[in-house]
Amino acid sequence: MKIDWGKISIKDLASLVCGKLNEKEIDAVLVGGACVSIYTNNTYVSYDLDFVSHTSLKHIAGALSGLGFRRESTRHFVRKDCPFFIEFVAPPLSIGTEPVKQRKKLKSRFGELVLLTPTDSVKDRLAAFYHWNDTEALEQAVLVAKAQKVSLEEVRRWSEHEGHMKKYEIFIATLKK
Amino acid sequence: MLEGLLGNIVIEKIFFTLLVYGEGYPLGMAKNFGEPVNRFQQQLKRLEDSGIIASRLIGNVRLYTFNPRYPFLKELKALISKAYEFVPENEKNKYYKRRTRPRRAGKPL
Repeated sequence: MKIDWGKISIKDLASLVCGKLNEKEIDAVLVGGACVSIYTNNTYVSYDLDFVSHTSLKHIAGALSGLGFRRESTRHFVRKDCPFFIEFVAPPLSIGTEPVKQRKKLKSRFGELVLLTPTDSVKDRLAAFYHWNDTEALEQAVLVAKAQKVSLEEVRRWSEHEGHMKKYEIFIATLKK
Repeated sequence: MLEGLLGNIVIEKIFFTLLVYGEGYPLGMAKNFGEPVNRFQQQLKRLEDSGIIASRLIGNVRLYTFNPRYPFLKELKALISKAYEFVPENEKNKYYKRRTRPRRAGKPL
């Protein structure tokens, strides 16, 4: 299949990366802003694909070279003609102090993509708002919560566990606007 | 104290600095401990790559803190706090009791 790297969508690229890693028996989960892009159908645009994997970066680099991506710094991979930037953030796969237990699988013509569930994606963005006061991350959490079926009960439970109920209330108020 | 566990005395110094002051930057740490700045830069990068600490740029200075999103932060801080209790008083006075309250710009020392 011919790939137009300059115009590839974030979902297709993420699926390609997951598929290539899967071929080499490397588990990886897409997290961060890229999940927001996918769940909101690009209402929010991210050029950053963050994955979490427990496999060594050396093995990951070997697999990604098969797609023409080269390691630029410790954890980043780029391809000259592709606008997206791939990063493997340090494991474990967690949101706040809790491990991520569920994964969502999406199929595209390029393969199967493994990513955070919509509820975990909201929690992931809220973690940035809770800990760093990042209001852009709050907006992203709201976008996902509006576009996807999200368990607000679970988001509330997690927020309470993280000790950020006041900011959770801000999230709910923003969501209702 | 934790050198055997952390594999590196510089990391212990970084952890104690971040525990006591809440934040730190490479040159400040290097001056405080009288050691080359690249030693701190290397280890700070390593810790940041591992998600244990996070940084932001303020002007020209890269300021580091513990990463509040690191899942084992509470446990890590508990260990560092325990180890810090065993730091000799003279060392605490020398390295970890720097003035942290504000100083008005232009005020003579």
